[in-house]
Amino acid sequence: MTKTPYAELLAMLSRHRGVVGSFVVSERDGLAVDSNVQIGVHAEAVAALAASLHRKARLACGAAGCGVVTFLRLDAEKGGICAAGRDDLVLVTISEARANIGLLRVEMMRAAKALT
Amino acid sequence: MPDEIRRLSDDLARDPSSLVFMPLAEALRRAGQLDVALRVAVRGLDRHPYLPDAHDVLARIHADRGDLERASDEWEMALRLDPSHAQANLGLGFIEFRRGDLESAERRLSTVPPAEQTPGVAAALAHVRSALGARPAKGAAVVMPNGSPPAEATVVSPPLAPSEAMAPAESVVVRETPAPAPAAPEQATPRTTRSVPELPAPDPSRTKQLFDSVLDGSGQYALLVDADGLVLAGAYTDATGKDVAEVIAAELAGVSSEAERAMRHLGLGAWTSLLVEAHEAIVAMTPAPNASLLVVTAARTTPVGLVRLLLDRALARARDWLVRVS
Repeated sequence: MTKTPYAELLAMLSRHRGVVGSFVVSERDGLAVDSNVQIGVHAEAVAALAASLHRKARLACGAAGCGVVTFLRLDAEKGGICAAGRDDLVLVTISEARANIGLLRVEMMRAAKALT
Repeated sequence: MPDEIRRLSDDLARDPSSLVFMPLAEALRRAGQLDVALRVAVRGLDRHPYLPDAHDVLARIHADRGDLERASDEWEMALRLDPSHAQANLGLGFIEFRRGDLESAERRLSTVPPAEQTPGVAAALAHVRSALGARPAKGAAVVMPNGSPPAEATVVSPPLAPSEAMAPAESVVVRETPAPAPAAPEQATPRTTRSVPELPAPDPSRTKQLFDSVLDGSGQYALLVDADGLVLAGAYTDATGKDVAEVIAAELAGVSSEAERAMRHLGLGAWTSLLVEAHEAIVAMTPAPNASLLVVTAARTTPVGLVRLLLDRALARARDWLVRVS
């Protein structure tokens, strides 16, 4: 099995407390380029939805003159999704409520700069 | 009461890590010493952040201080820690009732198990259901179950024995004002009556200014968008002064349903907020009643916590407004 350039990055993010999955997804078509998720996580469906949310946020921010989207965080009752994109690629993590979002945010924004 | 407070204070002084801070904070709250109660509760939560009952006590204190936003936060935290926490459901139910979200209030109050349904809970639930049943058509007066005049409908708190008195029932002031008024201390009398001024009919020409009172104007905007991406209320102008609200709303069509679907796939519960950081601004969104979406934007230099607070305030405003127009 061939490792993608993102395997190390995703493994590092998945080691964070409360992170149950991470993946790199193409914003354009919503397809996961690589993923590192726990068993039971619907990676493909979530990747597509996260990519779509990121795209909508990017377009809305463009229309509003808010500039380039650097980080997106969707919170829910028991956890959430974080996303940081660059060009067409979006780095996404799925986390439980116990995750340290501040730390994860810093790591993701740093990692997103390396996405190519 | 002073003896009890003294005894509990001594106990806490002997063992600062004990859980006695909860009954002490509650006793202080009941005695009306809200600032001291707040300090005790916050300090206790520093040591025991995962105790739902401690968050419940802190929520009651906030409610007594008239800070319903923080009370709501604490009760929500209690529910995150213990989804079946009856008092937290009860507290949130009263706050939702206060905001005019009767369906949610009814749902919340219904979750309190029969075994824990004090006469106060049962009366509150009956009251909300009655208000729901009596919900008027657009622009009509609210008729409350006690038959009071439409323009001055009243909410009658249920009779509560001191031992079962609950902060929400006694503290939440059901009054339509921009900022919640400080709650009166718990009443010794069994029944208290508080007035609910009739809501004015919405003025369509003023929908763009709906959120002006909750924003401070320095580059902050709020928009209420329906499920189809159409603007319901609020305004947004870009740097050149051009109104771009409709464009933004259109781009955000479907965000709410996609967020909901993503969370359903992940089993993470209902989505509560979407925060987008961009180079020039922070955009925060949250689901609003009737499948609508509330969007608040602020300058990038605005602290994220403040943006969330603005979002909460705007949501309360949107809920009140939607009750009137729907």
